[in-house]
Amino acid sequence: MNHKTIKRITGILLSVLLVCGTLAGCSGKEQEEISGSANKNTSGTNTKEEAGERAMGRFLEEEMDTGVVFGNIYDMKKLEDGTLRILGADGDNGQKGAWDSKDQGVSWEKAYDFPTELQDSDEGYMEYAALSSDGQAVCAYNQIQKGSGVLSVLYLLDKEGKGSRIDYTFPQSSGESSMAKSFVVSDDDLEGGPSEDTNEADAASEEDTENTGKSVSNLILGIQFLGNDQILAKDMSDTVYQISIADGSLKHTYEFDGSIDTHQVYVSGKKMLVFTSSEVLLYDTETGEQLPAEETLQKGTAESGRFQAMDSINEGESVYGLASGGLYHYKFGGSVMEQLIDGSMTSMGAPSFYPIALTMLDEQNLLVAANDGNSDSPTGIALLKYTYSADTPAKPDKELKVYSLYDNREMRQSISRFQKEHTDIYVNYQAAMSEENAVNVSDALKTLTTEIMAGKGPDLLILDGMPVKTYIEKGILKDVSSLIGKDGDYFEKILKAYQDEQGQICAAPARFMLPIAQAGSAYYTPGQDFDSLTENKGVFAGMEPKPVVEKFWYTCGAAWQKEDGTLDAAKITDFLTKLKNAYGEYENSMDDMDMTVGFTMDGNTEEIGKVSFSYGDFDLAFGRTNINIGLLGKLDYGMMSAVNKKLQDGDYGLMPGQAENVFVPSMIMGISSKSNQTETAEQFLTYLFSQESQKISQSGGLPVEKEAFRSVIDGHQYRDYESLVCVGSSGDNMDEVLDYAMSPTPEEEIKKFTDLAESLTTPALRDDVIKDVVSEQGEKVLKGEISPEEATDAIMQKVNIYLAE
Amino acid sequence: MMSRAKLSKFILWGALGVLAILVLYPVFFLLAGSLMGNDELERYLGAVIAGKEGYVNFPLLPQYPTLKHFVEIFLDSPEFFVMFWNSMKITLGVLAGQLVVGTMAAWGFAKYDFPGKKGCFLIYMILMLMPFQVLMLSDYLVLDGLKLTDSLWGIILPGAFSTFPVFIMYRFFTEIPDSLIESAKLDGAREWQLFVYLALPIGSSGVIASLVLGFLEYWSLIEQPMTFLKDKSLYPLSIFLPDVTNVGRSGMAFAASVITFLPAVLVFLGGQDYLEQGIMAGAVKE
Amino acid sequence: MGGIMKKPYRLTKARHAKIAFNHKSFHGFLWILPSLLGVLVFYLLPYADVVRRSFFGAVDNHFTGLDNYRVVLENTAFLLAVKNTLRFTIFCIPALILTALLCAVVLYRSKYGGIIKSAFLMPMALPAVSVALMWRLLFHSQGIVNQWLTHSSVSGTDWMNSENAFWILVGSYLWKNLGYDIVLWMAGLGGISQNIYEAARVDGAGEWQCFWKITLPNLRTSFYTITVLSFLNSFKVFREAYLVAGDYPHESIYMLQHLFNNWFRSFSFDKMAAAAVLESLVLLLLILLFQRTLEHSDN
Repeated sequence: MNHKTIKRITGILLSVLLVCGTLAGCSGKEQEEISGSANKNTSGTNTKEEAGERAMGRFLEEEMDTGVVFGNIYDMKKLEDGTLRILGADGDNGQKGAWDSKDQGVSWEKAYDFPTELQDSDEGYMEYAALSSDGQAVCAYNQIQKGSGVLSVLYLLDKEGKGSRIDYTFPQSSGESSMAKSFVVSDDDLEGGPSEDTNEADAASEEDTENTGKSVSNLILGIQFLGNDQILAKDMSDTVYQISIADGSLKHTYEFDGSIDTHQVYVSGKKMLVFTSSEVLLYDTETGEQLPAEETLQKGTAESGRFQAMDSINEGESVYGLASGGLYHYKFGGSVMEQLIDGSMTSMGAPSFYPIALTMLDEQNLLVAANDGNSDSPTGIALLKYTYSADTPAKPDKELKVYSLYDNREMRQSISRFQKEHTDIYVNYQAAMSEENAVNVSDALKTLTTEIMAGKGPDLLILDGMPVKTYIEKGILKDVSSLIGKDGDYFEKILKAYQDEQGQICAAPARFMLPIAQAGSAYYTPGQDFDSLTENKGVFAGMEPKPVVEKFWYTCGAAWQKEDGTLDAAKITDFLTKLKNAYGEYENSMDDMDMTVGFTMDGNTEEIGKVSFSYGDFDLAFGRTNINIGLLGKLDYGMMSAVNKKLQDGDYGLMPGQAENVFVPSMIMGISSKSNQTETAEQFLTYLFSQESQKISQSGGLPVEKEAFRSVIDGHQYRDYESLVCVGSSGDNMDEVLDYAMSPTPEEEIKKFTDLAESLTTPALRDDVIKDVVSEQGEKVLKGEISPEEATDAIMQKVNIYLAE
Repeated sequence: MMSRAKLSKFILWGALGVLAILVLYPVFFLLAGSLMGNDELERYLGAVIAGKEGYVNFPLLPQYPTLKHFVEIFLDSPEFFVMFWNSMKITLGVLAGQLVVGTMAAWGFAKYDFPGKKGCFLIYMILMLMPFQVLMLSDYLVLDGLKLTDSLWGIILPGAFSTFPVFIMYRFFTEIPDSLIESAKLDGAREWQLFVYLALPIGSSGVIASLVLGFLEYWSLIEQPMTFLKDKSLYPLSIFLPDVTNVGRSGMAFAASVITFLPAVLVFLGGQDYLEQGIMAGAVKE
Repeated sequence: MGGIMKKPYRLTKARHAKIAFNHKSFHGFLWILPSLLGVLVFYLLPYADVVRRSFFGAVDNHFTGLDNYRVVLENTAFLLAVKNTLRFTIFCIPALILTALLCAVVLYRSKYGGIIKSAFLMPMALPAVSVALMWRLLFHSQGIVNQWLTHSSVSGTDWMNSENAFWILVGSYLWKNLGYDIVLWMAGLGGISQNIYEAARVDGAGEWQCFWKITLPNLRTSFYTITVLSFLNSFKVFREAYLVAGDYPHESIYMLQHLFNNWFRSFSFDKMAAAAVLESLVLLLLILLFQRTLEHSDN
């Protein structure tokens, strides 16, 4: 009886709890609905038009041909008198100065040159500069102090460019820098004669390292005007200083605890906006007090991404921000953050696009200065104008859906370019395994299957990681043999990797990766075969086990399949035994690095990463590993030759394996046979294989078109900048430094790579099911947990089921 | 004799106790995990989740108990509430539907005769036993045709028409004595009155039993939402869990598990009596 | 003894004469109509589509006759999955039903029965994802079970990648459903009138005799429901198996649902549909057989 009463009471409690829960849920839901409706409002390109009929109105993008080639832009602003002003550097001679435009940015004229003490020289260089609305400029100049590092000083220039130093010294930085960890590119003086270059550069970089190691003084990492009489400057420890320009007196200091990374500081009227990795903090600059957060802005930027450039109007009541999602507008106290431009329809959405400054000319016109390596500008610094066009449909008429498992940057870049040329087509690209979507491959593919069968699937597929052969057999993909290989000279074997006996091509790699090995002569000589490489016990020591297996799976897996379709167990045992021999004893020490691998079913959100060649070059150069192997998707020849030099007798060549002449097809494209706009899909696919698209390089693979292949490996972008030096550093104290001149790839090396590419005939298996099984079991073998034979049994058992299905 | 009986009883109870502890171990495990800080979790679980050397070691009492993960979920994860509410909507929606449609059908099957009834019931049973994967594509096509994909209705409606509650309640309704019905009819009760005033009250425990089982089923639904929902703001709690199952967030995973577990266990405890009476009672009463 | 035999201890199944309760057939149909409509739309229509697909090609929709059935029956993966599923069912269901019955009989008489029973019910309420998480921590090659085993000098194994996986799955099923079945059995026990036992004892029957002659026969209808529900629940272990071991688990726990799942992913709807139709035929047979057996023993 007693027990019963207890249960009754529990029952009552439960109902109460449930009701509470439901109520909590209710209120949560209402909030959600508000923001949900806000989302709906903002999701279109323009909200001024009511839905119902076809929404009209869209901002159109135009890259300005200004007559001036900017080598850099520091800031751009619309001054009080309506003039537009840019602080920048001349792309031809590196001279820094200010340019004005009286015609909304169409033409620009030099207003003044910076005083000589602000030009780059051996004594220092200018990093940041900002404009006020009355035309004054403030510059952060980094003075190189002999022996004691770099010191940031502030200069104030009046409207005519007359300069004076602001009398303020930043305190030494004590906190840790939020600066990127692995590179410093020093843009050395371009006037110096080429013969001295290397020495000088070496000297400078050595100096840099010393400094980085010990005594870098405080550096300014961002600067903004606050009104016309104060500035905000952010330093290495993320502290923001509010300084009066008249006397250099410090008004306020804003400090953030170490857990917050501040990324951007903006000014809007009297408010300071600080974008951290997770929040938007607001401060009143008059009192120095923090203001309550604006919920809508917070939520909005959580979705849109951080603002990378911002402009404000109406005394700072309204702000416009550029983020990866496009252009947004927010009015303080408002309930909606409005999306004005959908980034995915303009170059804003391209991965190579880094906005520098945003200037609202009026509500319907704006200028954006950006660093975009894929723009028409030779220096990559582009000036883009966006104009609202009321009679253009808000969304283009045709929507093309592109689907991939893993995010593909080349695809994003190509889409951005393609859409520019075809304003009537909107390419909707969706990568299933993006960071915020924690699904595993299998579930993603199931969803894809349902959608394709329901006729709602994508028109175009990037088949990387998918069971390509099965899809072809099942007739999911359309024959595209008539579309590809027409616009240039292609690596035929690679392009036609998936050609069947009837000559049909239902899937074609737009790119490929080279399995490359590099090491000193004691461990590897180009042309060496798998057997002799792996005879050398311990040659793979120091590497993480799983990627080793995965890399060799690419070059070996292609040889495992027997004629009847089953796998050859003897080959797998051989493979694992030899890998184990070459790997030697497993040491556990490096496992701490592996913290990102969760115990979700399938932790890999990024497919290529640890298997890429460039992942291991520092380890090789500094002796942590004996050999670097991996897939090469973008050639950084300078780095490779620097590693060779460091090793003294280093060399590189194809990565050996049980199969020979293996290439790894990537960005494998296919058109869905259920697509209902085949023509548009074909048009886009053709574009992807055209030279223009092929020349895009984002490290996801080398082009299959030879001309484009040459253009991405020849280092032509360095041709006029022979003195550029790249310094890479790694290690715990950034004390491992590898520096090299960035120069065009030598002709014989281009030929070597081209010949390598020409010689490749065997596509690596790209079936993730088999790959996952092999790498999982192989990892255990290398760790010494099970024997190669046991692993082979496990692999055979699972793969045979898979193949039998 | 006596002592032997006692001994065997002792052994029997001992075995049962051990069994109960074994059964409960994972529950305690989750509870303990939800109260541990991230450092502690990482130390104990590092071997599995971070690939460290050694074994997982897991005490059932946290060394430094903390409610941090619960705070994190309740305060810092607005999406958690959305998901919780979605789960509620799905579960309560389905149960409401079953309450209406399911009981009626069960009543019809139990107390009426019509041609094809046996066949119908057989089909219901087979459908009940069909794995979801089999019907998945066709289901999707149908729902798509009805414009129900990417909407909670696409989950709720098929759930409401599930044949499982019919099966459970049918067995129950058959046991209501005909004499009772006859006499009610003689008193002039209409058919719907019979159902509302006679069948439902007498059958309440059976109905509740089926609802409790339904709650468990739809509270932890995985496949359907994964297949039919694309919009993440519609996801229920049951598929939120895998999301947080990685290092650094494993504490949250534990806490989320516990929070998901609680409503289910409360419903279960509260409905336990009905479960017993409901499923079997009629079947065996004199 | 003889007296016991004669007495109708087993309660007559409440077989209510539906004929006596003579409604027009039309009315009965009205009651199930709403449900039937829903079932028609959400279950039968898709099911009909599956049946249709079993005779057609997967994507191109050309008629293939019985080809798909032939392909499926020759498919080694299918045969393996059928074998495993059968093996699992044959092991699990009797084990579960018997263990639960044993526990129920013991717990039924005890005053703490209710509490222990509640304890047994807990696992049922645990979400599948949490269970999967637990299983990973327990049975990983560096998991908790192996850690326990290091104390007892037995070397641990990689549980999920060996034959043990099957037994873990069986254990998981028992663990999860034991409480549920105990409750069902106890409910069944509760329905047996104490008078019968008393009468039997008066006639000199011992505990065992009571159990065999009274308890078991009276639990017959419970047995039917419990078996069907246990069978239904046996399909649900797939969730845990899938969440723990993925698409391709150790071959001993490769179930029909794994196969369906994988077929689905690779657009093999033809095979899937044929296998599904075969499965439903088997289910139909099983249900009919089961009902028949029960009725037989009834008479």
